[in-house]
Amino acid sequence: MFRKVLIANRGEIAVRVIRTLREMGIPSVAVFSDPDRTSLHVRMADEAAHIGPGPSAESYLRIDRVLDAARRHGADAIHPGYGFLSENADFAAACEAAGIVFIGPSAASIRAMGSKTAARRTAIAAGAPVIPGTDHAVTLDTLRDFAATHGFPVLLKAVAGGGGKGMRRVDRESDLESAFRNASSEAERAFRSPEIYVERLIERSRHIEIQLLGDHHGNMVHLGERECSIQRRHQKVIEECPSPLIALHPEMRHEMGQAAIRAARAAGYYNAGTVEFLVDADRRFYFLEMNTRLQVEHPVTELVTGLDLVRLQVEIAAGAPLPFTQDQVAWRGAAIECRIYAEDPFNDFLPYPGKLTRLTRPLGPGIRLDGCVYDGWTVPMEYDPLLAKLAVWADTRDHATARMIRALREYDVGGIHTNLAFFRQILEDPEFRAAHLHTGFIDEFFQRRQPPEPPPDLVAVAALAAALHTAAHQPKAAISAAETASSWRESGREGLLR
Amino acid sequence: MKLALTIDSRPDTIEILAPAPACRFQLGDAPPRDANVETPEPGVYSVLLDGRSYDAFVEDTLTCLVVTIEGHRFEIEVRDPRRWSRKSAGAGSDAVQSILSPMPGKVIRVLAAPGDAVVPGQGIVVVEAMKMQNELKSNRTGRVLTVTATEGATVTAGELLATIE
Repeated sequence: MFRKVLIANRGEIAVRVIRTLREMGIPSVAVFSDPDRTSLHVRMADEAAHIGPGPSAESYLRIDRVLDAARRHGADAIHPGYGFLSENADFAAACEAAGIVFIGPSAASIRAMGSKTAARRTAIAAGAPVIPGTDHAVTLDTLRDFAATHGFPVLLKAVAGGGGKGMRRVDRESDLESAFRNASSEAERAFRSPEIYVERLIERSRHIEIQLLGDHHGNMVHLGERECSIQRRHQKVIEECPSPLIALHPEMRHEMGQAAIRAARAAGYYNAGTVEFLVDADRRFYFLEMNTRLQVEHPVTELVTGLDLVRLQVEIAAGAPLPFTQDQVAWRGAAIECRIYAEDPFNDFLPYPGKLTRLTRPLGPGIRLDGCVYDGWTVPMEYDPLLAKLAVWADTRDHATARMIRALREYDVGGIHTNLAFFRQILEDPEFRAAHLHTGFIDEFFQRRQPPEPPPDLVAVAALAAALHTAAHQPKAAISAAETASSWRESGREGLLR
Repeated sequence: MKLALTIDSRPDTIEILAPAPACRFQLGDAPPRDANVETPEPGVYSVLLDGRSYDAFVEDTLTCLVVTIEGHRFEIEVRDPRRWSRKSAGAGSDAVQSILSPMPGKVIRVLAAPGDAVVPGQGIVVVEAMKMQNELKSNRTGRVLTVTATEGATVTAGELLATIE
């Protein structure tokens, strides 16, 4: 087993990996940028190394600095988490060259699956169904040809893509050129590659993905699916296992699982990975892409299978064979995860960094919270706004939903905006309860949403709390300044005095 | 103390007749009510009303207070007649468009200078936070009056970046 593992990441995923390493008795090394000096992962790790200033390009994305930190601290393996360098084949290769184990797939596998068009070709060769689309980057001319052949709507995607960057839905010919240019320039900014490819857009489709795990001895299993259809800006916000669709059609788990394994095997894959599928209204599934790393939403799989994916990743990287076979993988109950972001869902999901002035975490039966926040911490503006992942487990989807609503009610984060109240509205939505899920769910939800009519006593309590809060926080200077005749007159003019 | 309120855009008034903890209050023209109120944590109001227990979480934002109770979210503007209103302090008249940062972040581009002619939808300043870029645009045909934003500067939510007339 490894002597020491460095985590080339920050935030909740670094904390999550440190927890398992500690359970395994393996010392951990955190890396951090200037604004992350007081972040939780630095405080929790056994050792910590400073790797540069705030911008990721000068710290968390610097292969040389991460490897240098690993050498200085004597780490013999690196866990990349997700994002940052996790899907960077050059980083995996550089680790190998430095004699440090990269806890993940080989550089060759990352290359085979990293480019979205290369992944499509690999999947096609492995016999996995794909959405009609181009297998190479398009020009404006070839894009026009594709749309003429397949019709609208189409979806433009970045060849180097991920996280919804460079993605554009196009509904008509006249929008094609500007969408192509915008997608291309967004892709250039995000991935330093302007290459765009195109797929037919399948309306009201579901996003269902298969978790895979393979060892260095040729064994590979799937750990079932996660349904991730609730998305905003092409980014997942609620994930669940099992997929309510697959719960009704259990044979799909096997079919999709086998298709995922075939695609991954074609890339010589090992360690943890996820194959994403799109499922249409007729339950046909299509290969979307493969994520060659641990997913953000892995906890729902862990809750339902009872496995620790990070532990398995570390053991596999150290050369151990998979400790179980496909037949031994069992799924029990239902798990749901909400991604708690520092953002304002009622103001176009704009991010909202800042200092936490208050924090109450949900506790009690069936709750799992993977977070990186503490009371008094300042959420840095340099990074992704993910604060925590709140996951629940219960015996059925209905019970898990009720448990999540209960947990959200206990959860309080003060000082910054979060999407906590938004989740409550989604989870109480009859369409969500009925599991009528698709990737356009949130857009439609905002259109049909009737803000819940609160009981009158709740309004009274809210008004009372607001009044007392205002009275308690009225600055003295403001009071004296306000007690001028002009402000009395001003207020009088506004008709505020009755 | 009588306060004017808007609760989710509906106007109302509240008068505090007796202070916490044995609080007596009157909402609008309804009969006065009694509530026991404690503040166990800053910004958290534990309210016992007619035997029911509520935890109200109060958050100060730029334009209003956001009060969350049992997952319900209320946007409440409180205006003490003795104070300048929150609104009149910030926003200007309709003749001038104030471009305010919608979120805490960093100014990454300034696209206009004082005196520039602008058209509706024209980008003035780009603010970035947490990997999201937000281009703030002119809502009118006019002229840039002032630009207080500087590239690279850190800004808070609601900070004035530019004005347009």
